[in-house]
Amino acid sequence: MDDPVAEMVVRVAAQDRAAFRDLYSATAPKLLGVTLRILGTRSEAEDALQEVFTRVWLRAGRFDPEKGRGMTWLIAIARNHAIDRLRSRPPAAAGDSGDEIDAVPDSSVSAEGRLIAMGEAGRMRDCFATLEPDRADAVRGAYLDGLSYVDLAARHAVPLNTMRTWLRRSLLKLRECLDQ
Amino acid sequence: MTPDDLPLPPEEADDALAAEYVLGVIDLAERAAVEARAKTDGVFAARIAAWEARLEGLNEGFAEVPAPDLLPRIEARIFGQAPRRRPLFGWLAGALAAAAVAMVAVAVLLPAPPAPIVATLGAQTDPLRFEARHDGANLIVTRVAGPPAPAGQVQELWIIAPDAAPVSLGLLAEAPLTVAYPDTPTGWTLAVSLEPEGGSPTGAPTGPVLAAGTITDL
Repeated sequence: MDDPVAEMVVRVAAQDRAAFRDLYSATAPKLLGVTLRILGTRSEAEDALQEVFTRVWLRAGRFDPEKGRGMTWLIAIARNHAIDRLRSRPPAAAGDSGDEIDAVPDSSVSAEGRLIAMGEAGRMRDCFATLEPDRADAVRGAYLDGLSYVDLAARHAVPLNTMRTWLRRSLLKLRECLDQ
Repeated sequence: MTPDDLPLPPEEADDALAAEYVLGVIDLAERAAVEARAKTDGVFAARIAAWEARLEGLNEGFAEVPAPDLLPRIEARIFGQAPRRRPLFGWLAGALAAAAVAMVAVAVLLPAPPAPIVATLGAQTDPLRFEARHDGANLIVTRVAGPPAPAGQVQELWIIAPDAAPVSLGLLAEAPLTVAYPDTPTGWTLAVSLEPEGGSPTGAPTGPVLAAGTITDL
């Protein structure tokens, strides 16, 4: 298994506390990058990170190294928790970006610049290129910044249902390309 | 009518929903519904996993950020070890070192380490959450987020053994609810329901389940 993170998660599933510490050292910067990018403030991102690692300990037994990479599993837990927090915010605060947002790298670069900065795998890049640029941006914005349908509809100035139809079609098109 | 307006066939609609969940664009209620379905629908859960794998290339877009060492706090949550304490008034401790009686007093003042957490009730999607800890003799359940029940109603705690009916453990108030349990009932479910004042009149949950979680052996 050429996946050191997966190996650590498997050891964590066996209640190995030393492995849990190793896993934190190896992956906390990336997972904090995830929660900070989505939540925007350092204090909430660090709070979320504690919850993420608590869940990693509790759920490590469900990780199957045959089915996916360790880092992918960890990032899914971090993204899901951060997005849940974001969606749980009261409506007044949801779109409030004036509240001590901490600097997060790479948020408003050009589409092409983002692709390069993101170092997307070749296939990923090629498949995104099959989408109309604004739809590709919507998919990335949702994944990386935690944008909701409401946010996306406002950003692209289209009705919510139109945005949902767009995005669903784009995702299925993306699937077709990525699964080839 | 453009091709975009045509409804998706059911399987495609399922796959699109899994993708929307992974992408994170849907609202909290839809997220909760997707998570609930994934717990019982293996095919649907596999669709979610497939989308996570499909989009993993996008993870490159998350920059690494120097992380502080939050491990002591995380381990305290999981294992019930108290976070490292700051030296207690160095000068005072020195002065007291000679006095055995005073030393005992200091030891008594130190907070007891919290019992290890064995279950979290309430999904990440739920603003109302409870935490269950086990101190070796008791199960201790505390509300950690969200409001108490509205006036005239109560939050009642239930424990559910595999394939058994729920058994009431009592009513949850502001203070943690402590129930004697010599061993951690691993694999059992804890659930909180909303009941009329005084608790469920029937001995079984009658109101909506507000939060639930499985007890995990640590």
